[in-house]
Formats: sequence, C-alpha cells, structure tokens
Amino acid sequence: MKPFQPVVGLALVAMLLSGCASSKGPSADALQAAHDSFQKAREDADILRSAPKDLIRAGESLARADRLASYWGSKDDVAHYAYLSLQYSAIAQQKTQLNLNQERAAKLELERQRLQLALREAKLLSVQDQSNWLEEQMVNLAATQSERGLVMTLGDVLFDAGHADLKASANRTVLKLVQFLQLNPRRTVRIEGYTDSRGDAQENLELSRARAQAVADVLIDLGIEAKRIEIKGYGERFPVTENASAKGRAQNRRVEIVFSDEQGTLGSPR
Amino acid sequence: MNYRLICVAILPVLLSACASDPAPEEQLRLTEQALSQANAVGVLAEQSASLRQAQEKLALAQAAMQDEEYKQARVYAEQAELDARLAEAEHLTQKSQQQLAELNNVINRLRKQLGGLQ
Repeated sequence: MKPFQPVVGLALVAMLLSGCASSKGPSADALQAAHDSFQKAREDADILRSAPKDLIRAGESLARADRLASYWGSKDDVAHYAYLSLQYSAIAQQKTQLNLNQERAAKLELERQRLQLALREAKLLSVQDQSNWLEEQMVNLAATQSERGLVMTLGDVLFDAGHADLKASANRTVLKLVQFLQLNPRRTVRIEGYTDSRGDAQENLELSRARAQAVADVLIDLGIEAKRIEIKGYGERFPVTENASAKGRAQNRRVEIVFSDEQGTLGSPR
Repeated sequence: MNYRLICVAILPVLLSACASDPAPEEQLRLTEQALSQANAVGVLAEQSASLRQAQEKLALAQAAMQDEEYKQARVYAEQAELDARLAEAEHLTQKSQQQLAELNNVINRLRKQLGGLQ
C-alpha cells in the first residue's frame, strides 16, 4: 500500500471535525423528519391495527438513531437509522391504506351483488307485460278463481300431522307468495286453516288456526306487513271433499290463502 | 508538526471501524429477496422511485462488498431492503385504489340502470 500523503491526512481530520462542528446538519434534519413521521403514524389507530410490526420497527430504528445522536462522530449512523425509521413508517402507512381499501372493497362488492340482483329482477319485470306476468304468477301459485276471489291452497303435505309448524318444503311456495305480495303492495290476504273431521272438533279448530298463524308468521318474517294479513281457523267445517277415505281427509287438511282485489278489499269471511 | 504522524494515528481508528464489521451476507440476501418480491408483485422501475432507489443502493452495496467496505455495504443493503419493501407496499396500495375506483364505477352504472327502469 502506498503511504498516505500528508494532505490526505489533513483532509480526513478536517472532514471528521466538520462533522462535529455543526450540530444542525442533514442528519439532524433526517432525525427530525423521522420523529415527525413516527409520531403521526403512532397516533393513527388504523396503523396500530393494520401494521403494528412495521410501526414497532420504525420506533426501534428511531430509538437507535436517537441514542447514536448523542455520540461523537456517528452522524452517518444517525442518518442511516433515521432513514430506516422513516421508511418503516412509510411502509406502515401504505399497508394500512391497503387494508382500509380492501375492507371498503369487500363492502362495495356486497353492494354490487345486491344491486345486480335487484336489476335482474327489475329487468325481468320490464320485459314481461305486467298483467300477463301477474296472471302467470297466480297460476304458478296454483290459485283458483272462486266466488271468494283468488284462492290459493297449501296442501296438507306442508305440515306434519297434528303439528302447526310449516315444513321446509313449503319454502318455495311461501317465497312466491311473498314476492307476489311485494309486487302488489295494495293487496291483502286472509289465511284460513282447515282440518279433517277426525278427532276432537275443538282441537281441530285450534290446530287449523295455529297452522294459519304459522303461515302468517313466515310471511311477516319475510317482510310482509302484519296488517295486510288476516287469520281464520275453520276447523273441520267447509270440507272440499268427503272425509270417509284417507285421500279425502288429506285434501280436507289444508291452508287456503284468499287474496283481496287490487284495491285491498277482501271478500267477507265464511 | 508531523502530518504523517497524525495520519498514522488516525488511520487505524478509521480502519478498525471497517475491519470489525463482518461481511453482511445475510442482509444482502434479504435485500435481494425483497427486490425480487417487489418484482414478483409487478412493480416496475419506470413507475416506482422507491424501486429505482432500491436497485441503485443494492448496486452500491454490492460494489462496497467487492471493496470489502462491509459497513458501507450493510448500510446500503439495509436501506435498499426497506426501499424495495416500500415499493411493493406502494404498488399494492395503488392497485387496491384502482380496484375501488372500478367497483364504484360499476355500482354507479347499476344505480343508473335501476333508476332508468323505475
């Protein structure tokens, strides 16, 4: 190795001393910037939640820079750790923003799906002639036009024997009913329960009423206003067929739904 | 005054600082990993000042390694690692921002269509 020239030695000494001479230098600025950035990040609850590790590292680096700032001749190290702290704070901030964006996107995605469904339904309605569509729905609901108005019958199979709870197999029918009522907000319904003639007449009356009530409860749960629904239990009165055979009895055990006209006027009960 | 003497007195102090630093092999590995991770998520140097800084500092760190200036190498490598990590985070955040804007667009369009039908 070539021996150092005196001038090189002087230059080195000058450089070292100049480092100490001014306490307000680039490293002090860097340290201050790192402090400001860390302080801001630490007070942000979202950052604490989303990027705690990066925040901790920003704090550790900053503490190291602070410690080194009190030593002689460590300006470069101070600047270095201040820089690392600054970058960690910036990373924490970016990760937090990313997290917030992702949370927001998840909410918007749900909103998008909801709107898409609503649009699909609305389009379906707009292509089909409204009245035709209603008619079709009524047919789908297996409704019959009688002197009492439109009547839809829920068969015995939708209930367990002797029980008033609606079975899951009734869901489809009930949903159609709800959809129909939502699309026809002025129409009201009367839900009528009927049983066969076996067993105690009083018990049958109560069972028929309980079954009508069960259907009404489901409608209300699905968003139909209670005041649009009437309940009636008829027990074993008004059979649709004879009670002598099992088949006949099954047909007599039923819930009928009577629809009002478009003005909301229901035929009077039997 | 003998400058040569001062020089000789100071040089060992200066050199000892370097000599005591081990070669930061592990840190360089970490830095390279951070850079390739940034590349993997699709950060482009043309679009990211942070990534350009990371690349420059990694090159400086590698040069310092060649010169056996291990302390300087470690400093550059550590900074380059964080620059690369920041570049990655910035990129992902930017992408999520675009995704949000797109979702908002779609939702506005849906609302308009629904309004037109009603």
